[in-house]
Amino acid sequence: MKLRKTAMALVSAAIALTAATGLAGCGNDSGSTGGTASTGGTDTTAAGEASSAPAVEVSDTLTVYTAMSEDELPAYTTAFKEATGITLETVRLSAGEMVTRITAEKENPQAAVAWGGATDSYITLENAGLLDQYTSPEAANFPSQFLDPNGYWSPIYVGAIAFACNQEWFAEHPDVAEPTSWADLTKAEFKGEIAMAHPSTSGTAYTVLATIFQLMGGQDINSTASWDYMKALNANVTQYSKSGSAPVQAAAMGEVAVGVSFAHDILKVIAQGYKLDMTFPSDGTGTEVGAIALIHGGPADELTAAQKFIDFVLSKEGQDLYAENNTYRDPVNPEAEVGEGVVTLDKLKVIDYDAKWAGDNKTTLIEMFQEMVDDGSNVSS
Amino acid sequence: MSSVAVSALEPGIAPDRSPGKKVSSKTGMKSLNRLVRQPILLITVLSVFVLLFIFVVLPMFNVIKIAFSDENGFTWDYLIKGLSKPVYQRTFLRSIILGVIVAFTSTAVGYLFAFATTRTEMKGKKFFNIMATLPIISPPFVVSLSIIFLFGRQGLITRGLLGIKDANVYGLPGLVVVQTMSFFPVAYMTLRGILMSLDDSVEDAAFSMGASRGRIFRTVTLPLTMPGIISALLLVFIQSMEDFSNPAVIGGGFSTLSVDAYRIINGMNDMNMGCMLAIMLLAPTVCAYLLQKYWMRKKSFVTVSGKPTQARRKLHEKHIVYPLFAGCCFFTGVIILLYGTVLMGAFVQTWGVNYVLTLKHFSYVLTLGAGVIKNSVILAAVAAPIGGFLGMVIAYLTVRQRFPGRRLMEIASMLMFAIPGIVSCIGYVATFNTKPLLLTGTAVILVATFTFRNIPVAIESGTSTLLQIDTSIDEAATISGAGTWYSFRTITLPMLRNAFLSGLTYSFVRAMTAVSAVILLISPHWNLATTKVFALFEASQFSDAAAYVVIMIVIILAAMGIINLLVNLLLKPRAKAPSAEAVEAALQAQGSSK
Repeated sequence: MKLRKTAMALVSAAIALTAATGLAGCGNDSGSTGGTASTGGTDTTAAGEASSAPAVEVSDTLTVYTAMSEDELPAYTTAFKEATGITLETVRLSAGEMVTRITAEKENPQAAVAWGGATDSYITLENAGLLDQYTSPEAANFPSQFLDPNGYWSPIYVGAIAFACNQEWFAEHPDVAEPTSWADLTKAEFKGEIAMAHPSTSGTAYTVLATIFQLMGGQDINSTASWDYMKALNANVTQYSKSGSAPVQAAAMGEVAVGVSFAHDILKVIAQGYKLDMTFPSDGTGTEVGAIALIHGGPADELTAAQKFIDFVLSKEGQDLYAENNTYRDPVNPEAEVGEGVVTLDKLKVIDYDAKWAGDNKTTLIEMFQEMVDDGSNVSS
Repeated sequence: MSSVAVSALEPGIAPDRSPGKKVSSKTGMKSLNRLVRQPILLITVLSVFVLLFIFVVLPMFNVIKIAFSDENGFTWDYLIKGLSKPVYQRTFLRSIILGVIVAFTSTAVGYLFAFATTRTEMKGKKFFNIMATLPIISPPFVVSLSIIFLFGRQGLITRGLLGIKDANVYGLPGLVVVQTMSFFPVAYMTLRGILMSLDDSVEDAAFSMGASRGRIFRTVTLPLTMPGIISALLLVFIQSMEDFSNPAVIGGGFSTLSVDAYRIINGMNDMNMGCMLAIMLLAPTVCAYLLQKYWMRKKSFVTVSGKPTQARRKLHEKHIVYPLFAGCCFFTGVIILLYGTVLMGAFVQTWGVNYVLTLKHFSYVLTLGAGVIKNSVILAAVAAPIGGFLGMVIAYLTVRQRFPGRRLMEIASMLMFAIPGIVSCIGYVATFNTKPLLLTGTAVILVATFTFRNIPVAIESGTSTLLQIDTSIDEAATISGAGTWYSFRTITLPMLRNAFLSGLTYSFVRAMTAVSAVILLISPHWNLATTKVFALFEASQFSDAAAYVVIMIVIILAAMGIINLLVNLLLKPRAKAPSAEAVEAALQAQGSSK
C-alpha cells in the first residue's frame, strides 16, 4: 500500500514536472524570439559576442547557402579547393528559400555566405539586418552601377529578361511573328500562349513586374498604364509558375508559345537540345544582378574562409568559370571571359533598372498584383 | 500478490470496450491509478508524451507564435487578414473542394485494389500489390511532369496519338487525376491492412444464410471496413490539403492554401502570414479528424475474437473477379504509363526532344549523387522503424489503454502530418536552432521530421486494425499473468503486422521522397536525393532528374522487399495459426488439384 502511494506521488511529480518544464520551455522560447523580432536588439548582442570572443580557430571548411544552379557547383568546389585549400560545403536552395532559411536561422546562423540569387533578395536580407558588410578588393574595378552603395553584397553576374519562343509553334503559326517588344506579348494571338512565373515566388517574374513599372509607369506603383499592361498580359498567361525557369521549360515542351525568363536560363535549355528561339524586347528590358554576401553572425571560424570565397567568386578566375561551365551567365568582372552565345548587356536596350526601388516596393507591388491582376480568373480549365 | 494480477481483477481496469465512453473524474483517477501500477506502461506513455511535446507541440507552438506576432509582439492582424481577404477565402474553399474530391476518388481506387488483392482469388495479386504501392515512391512532381509529357499540349498521347492540339492539363481536373494517382496508395495500404485481418467467418456466415455476394459486401464487408475507409478518407484529405508539389506544377490558376503559404513565405518573405495560412489549413483537418473519431467511437468493428477460424476459399466467382481485375488493370496501366514515361526519360538524351538511348544520365547521377542517395537511404532506414514502431505504440495506447491526455496524444501525433512542409520546417528551425535543443545541421532533425510527419499513416492503420481485434484476447493474456509489454509484444504486435508493414513502408518511402519538408533542414553533410532531383528539375535537366528517380525507385522497391521479409520474420505469430501466405499456398494447391 505504501509502495503504491509512493509510486503515485512519483507519477504526479513526473507529470507535473513535464508540464512545468514544458511551460518553462515555452516561456523561455517566447522570450528569446520576442527579443529577436526587433532586429536591432539582437544585432548588437551578436556583434558584441563576436568581437569579445577569443581568437577563433580558422576553419578549413566553408558552409554556403546558394541559389546558383546545381550543375554549376562542382566546378567551384574544385577550383576553390585548389586555390585556397578550403573545402566548400553547399546547400542549394531557391533564392526565396535561401532568404527564408537565413531569416529563420537568425538566432544561430548555420552558414557563412549567401551566394547567388538576385539583389532583391539581398536587399531584403540587408534591410532585415541579416548581412554583414564586406567589400572585396576584387570588386575595385567593377562597374559602379552594379555595386551596393552600402557595401553589404557584391555583384557576381548580370542578366537580362528575354523571351523563349517555341520554334515549332511559330512554324505552325506562320502569320504570327516572334515577340520583340513588351506590347507584342499582349497580342490576341498569344491568348493562353504565354508562360511567366509568379512575382511572389520568382525573382525573375518580379523583375518583369518591376521593369514594366520602370518602363511604363515612371516608378509609380499606381501607374494606370503599367497596371493596364499587366492585366492585358495576364489575359494571355496560362499559368504563373513557381520557379523563374519553369516558363522556359513550358516553352521548351510546347505547352506555350512564349516563356518569359532570364536569357541565361533560356540559353541553358537551348543548349540541352530544346528547339527554342530567344528574343529580347526592343523597347527596353529589365536586368538582374546576382549577388554574394556574408551572413550576419555566421560561424565565426569560417569568416576568413568566407571572405576568401567572396574574393574568389569575384576574381577573374572565379568569373571565368561561367564561360568554362557553359552557364551562359554574363560576368561582372570586366576582365573575365564572356562565354560563347552570351548576350552581354551592351548589345541590348536595357532600362536603367533600379534594384533599390524594386526591392523597397516589392511587398506592395506584389500584393497589388495579387489583388488587381492575378485573380485566378485567367485560367482556362 | 503481484500488482499486475490485482489490476486485472479490478473492474474497469481491463481495457475498456467502448473507448469513447466519457471519462468522469473518478474513472480518470482510476486510469491514473492503473498507469501507476504498470511501470512499463507508465514509462511508455510518458516517453511518448515527451517525444510528442518536443517534436510536435513545441514546433507547432512556435508556428502559432509566428502567426500571431509581428515586430511589436502579439497581433490578430494576420488572422484577420487571412479570414477577410477574398484571395485567401477563395484558396481556402478551393483547397477543401480539392481535398474532398481527391479523398473520395483515392479511397475508391485504393479500396478496389485492396479488396481485389486481399479478398479474391484474382490472378497477379502480388504484382498489383507492388503496382498499387509504386506511386508513393517518387517525388510527386514527377507524376505531374509525366502527365504534361503524356497529356499536355505536345503530349505523346493527346497530340501524338489523338491529334488534340489544345489539350489542357492544368487546373482542377488535372490536379484531381494527379493527386488521386499520387495518394491512392495511402488509402490502399490503410485498407489492405484492415481487409486482410477481417475475419472471413462473418462473411461466410452471411453466405451460408443465402445472402448474395453483393449483399454481403454491402451489409457486412463494407460496414466492417468502415474504420479503414474513414481513415483513408481522412489521410488522403489531409495529404491533398497539405500537398505542395502537385498544385505548384499542375494547378494552373487553381492555387491551394499550401501553395499560397509557400508563395508568401519564400516569395514575399512573410513568415507570419505563411504560418497563419498553415494554421487555417489545420482547421478543416482537425475538424475532419474529430468527426472521424466521433463517428468511429459509436461503433464496434470487432471481428477478430481469438476464436478459432479456419482458412477458407476467397472470392473466386468470375463475375466478381473479372471486373475487379479489369479495374486493377486499368489503373495499373495508368501507373505504368506514368512511370514508364519517367523510365524512358532517364534513358534518352533529352526528354521531350531527343529520344536517342543513352546511359549518360545514370553515370551523371552515380558520380555526383551517390552521396546524397546514401544519405537518403540511411535516414529513411533509421526513420522508418522508429516511425513504424512508435505508430503502433501510439495506436495501441490510444485504442487499448486509458490514461489522462489520451485524446491530446491522438491529436498531437496528427499535427505535423497536416501542415505544409515549408511551415513544419519553419517550426523545426525555430525550435531546434538554439540551445538547449540545438539540432540543426544534424541527421537527428531530419529523422525527427520524417518520423513525426509520417507517423499518422502507421497510427491510422494500427488503429483501424486494433478496432477489429476483440479485447478479450488481451484480457486472456492479462489474466494469465502477462504484463502490458509482454502482451503487446507477443499478441498485439503480431496481429498488427500488416498495419506495421504499411506504416514502415510509408515512412520509408516518404522519407526518401520528401521535398518541401526538408528544404530548410538539409545541411551540407546531410543533403538529400530529393532536393537534388528538385534542383535538377528546376534547371530543366529532366533526364538527369528522371535517372535519380529511377535509381530511387529501385532502392525503394528493394527496401520494401527487405521490410516485408523482416517484418514477417520478426513478427510471425507464435501460435500455430496459418499465416496468410500459407493459406494462400494451400488454397492454390487446392485449386490446382481440382
